[in-house]
Amino acid sequence: MILKTFLKETKELLREGRVRISIVIVLLLLGVAVWISTKQYQNVNEQYAVAKTAERAVWDNQGEKNPHSAAHYGTYAFKPKYPLSLVDQGVDKYAGTSIFLEAHKRNEAQFSAAADQTGLARFGDLTPDFILLFIIPLLIILLGYNSFTKEREMGTLTLLNSQGISHPKWIIGKWAALFLPIFVITALLFLIAGLLLGNLEDFGVFNWSSLAMMFLVYTVYYIVFINVVLLISSLTKKSGIALVISLSVWILACLAAPKAASNIAESKHPYPTRQEFAANVLKDKKQGLDGHNPWSKEAKLLEAQVLKEYGVDSLHQLPFNFSAYRTQKGEEHEAEVYFKHYKFLKDQYANQSKVYSGLAAISPYLPTRFLSMALAHTDYATHWDFADTAEAYRIATQEFLNNNTAQNTQYGQRGYKASADFWQQLPAFEYDPPELNTILTKNRSNMMALGIWLFASFGLLLFTTKTL
Amino acid sequence: MINTNNLTKKYGEQTALDHLNLDVKEGEIYCLLGANGAGKTTTINLLLGFVEPTSGSAFINQLNVSEDKRATKRFLAYIPENLMLYPSLTALENLDYFAGVAGKRLSQDNLKGFLAEAGLQTEAFNKRIATFSKGMRQKVGIAIALAKDAKVLLLDEPTSGLDPKASNEFGLLLQKLRGKGVATLMATHDIFRAKEVATHIGIMKDGQLKQQFVANDISLSKLEKAYLNTMEYNEVGS
Repeated sequence: MILKTFLKETKELLREGRVRISIVIVLLLLGVAVWISTKQYQNVNEQYAVAKTAERAVWDNQGEKNPHSAAHYGTYAFKPKYPLSLVDQGVDKYAGTSIFLEAHKRNEAQFSAAADQTGLARFGDLTPDFILLFIIPLLIILLGYNSFTKEREMGTLTLLNSQGISHPKWIIGKWAALFLPIFVITALLFLIAGLLLGNLEDFGVFNWSSLAMMFLVYTVYYIVFINVVLLISSLTKKSGIALVISLSVWILACLAAPKAASNIAESKHPYPTRQEFAANVLKDKKQGLDGHNPWSKEAKLLEAQVLKEYGVDSLHQLPFNFSAYRTQKGEEHEAEVYFKHYKFLKDQYANQSKVYSGLAAISPYLPTRFLSMALAHTDYATHWDFADTAEAYRIATQEFLNNNTAQNTQYGQRGYKASADFWQQLPAFEYDPPELNTILTKNRSNMMALGIWLFASFGLLLFTTKTL
Repeated sequence: MINTNNLTKKYGEQTALDHLNLDVKEGEIYCLLGANGAGKTTTINLLLGFVEPTSGSAFINQLNVSEDKRATKRFLAYIPENLMLYPSLTALENLDYFAGVAGKRLSQDNLKGFLAEAGLQTEAFNKRIATFSKGMRQKVGIAIALAKDAKVLLLDEPTSGLDPKASNEFGLLLQKLRGKGVATLMATHDIFRAKEVATHIGIMKDGQLKQQFVANDISLSKLEKAYLNTMEYNEVGS
C-alpha cells in the first residue's frame, strides 16, 4: 500500500503543471546560485592566496629594521575562505576577511564583502543557502499543502476509507511521495557542490563527511517541513486554508522567528557600542603598564622588581635590554586587557546563542541555520576562533620581536636593527578551523532541537492522521 | 451477509435511525426507498463504520462493524451517489490504486478484465478520469468492487443523475454481481429502478423501516402506491 500510494501521489504531482514548473524554477535557481557561488569562491580564494603570499613577502623582505618598528609596521592575518562556504556563506560577508596585527593593539577584522557593496546588497544574494533554507520549504508547501485536503474535497477519502486502508501506511506513502522530489533536488545540489569542490584547485579543508553532515541537516529540516505541511493538510478541510496556514508557518519559522530571536537575544544580552568598548579598553590599559613610558608608577615598580630578581643595582647591569623587556611586559598587560574585554563580548555572544537555541522550539530554521553555518565554517563561532588565533599570533609575534631586541641590545642602546634574514624566522600565520567532531560537540543543543522537531512532528503527524 | 440488529443512531435529540432490523443474504439486492432524511444514508454509513451506532449492531459477513471496522471492510465495496476518483489518473490507474490499497495485487490484464466486465469501453481504459461522465465513473466503481472480490456492495443513490441508458446498464451490472452471490444494499429514490433490480425492497421514513416487500410479489404500481402512502401523500404529485 505504501508503494501504491507513493506511485499514485508521484503520478499526480508530475501531471500537475504547477508542480513541474515549480521544480524547474527551483532547479534553475539552484543552478544559478551554485554557479555564482563557485565563481565567487574561486575569486575570493585567489585573492586570499595572492594577498597572503604578497603580505608574507613584504614581511620577509623588510631588510634591516628595528623589531619594534616592524611591530608597528605590522602584518595581516587573512581569513581563509572555506569550501563549504560555497553552500552556506553564513556571516562571512559581514565579518571581515583580514585582521591587521600590530603592536599594542588588537584590531577587528576588516574588509568585509558587504562593505564593498552598494545599498542594492540589501536585496540579498542568490546563494545556495537561500534556496536551501527558504525556497525549498516553499516548494514543499506547494507540493504538499493539499495532500489530504484534496482527498476530502474530491471525495476520494470516503472511498479510501471504505476500502479499509491502513492509515499509517497511506500516510507514509504520501510522505514518501513528497519527500522523494525534495530529497533528489537536495542530493543533486550537494553532489554537484561536492564534485565542484573536489575538482577545484587549492580547495583547502574540504571533506566529504562535512558535506554529508550538512546534507543530513538539511534533509532533517525538510522532513520537519514535510511533516508540518502534511499535518496542516490533515487537520484542515479546504486546500486554500491549508495553503494559507502553511505559508503563515513558513513566514513565522523562516522570516519572523530569526528576526525576533535576534532582537530578543540582543535586548537580553546587548553588546557594548564600539565607542563604549574602545573607552573601556583604553581605561583599563591606562590602569596598567605602558611599555613606552619609563616614568609611570607601574614602570618603576617593574624596574624595582627586576633589579631585585636579578640582584643588581642598575638596569645597565641586566643581561638584557630592560626597555625591550618593559615593552614586552606592556604588551602582555595590553593583551590581558583585550582578552578581558573580548571575553565579555564572547560571553555575550554565547548568551545570545543560548537565547537562539531556546527559541529553536518555535522554528526548525534556527538550529538548521546554526548547524549549516557551523559546518560551513562561516558562523560567528568560527570567526571568533579565527580572531582569537590571530590575536594569539599577534601576541607571539610581539614577544618574538621584543625578545630579539631584549637579547641583542643593552639598556639605553638606540638604533638597533635586526638583520634582514631575521623576519623569516617568524612562522607564518596559519589558521585551522574547528574539525567536524568539535563542531558537532559545540552544536549539540542545535542537533537536539532539530531532533526534537523531527520526532515531535512525525509523532503528531501519525497521531492526528489516525482518525482521518 | 448484511445484518442489522435494532440499529439506532441519534444525533442529540434527533433520531436518524430507529431500531432498524435488516437481513440481506448472499445474492440478494435490497433496495431502501425513502425521501431525503429517511435514514438510508445513515444506514449505509453505519454499515461502513463511518459513524458509531447509538445502540444496536451492524454486521457484515457476521462480523460486528463497530468491533472490527477494518476486517469488515475487506468484504465490502461502496459506491456513493457521486463516485469521485483521481481526475489526473486513468481509469486503469485508479482501479490499480483502489484495488491495491484494498490489498489486491492484480496484473494489468486482470485489471483490464474487470474494467471490461464493468462495461467500460476499452478505449477509455487509459483515459484520465477527468474526462469521464458520471456513468463511466460508476462503472469504474463497479470494477473496483469486482477487483476487490467484494461479498457486499453498498450503494448510495448510485443511479441519481444517470441518463436512462447508463442507469439501465448499471442495473444490468448489479444483476451480474447478484449472479456472483454479492449481497447488495442500495439506497435510492428511484422506485422504477428499485423494482427492476431488487430482490427485496424496504420503505423508510423518519429513520424507521415502515414496509418491506419481496420485489417479485409486488407490482410497480402497488409499490409506488405503498411508497406514497408511507410518505403520507394522498395523490401522486401532491
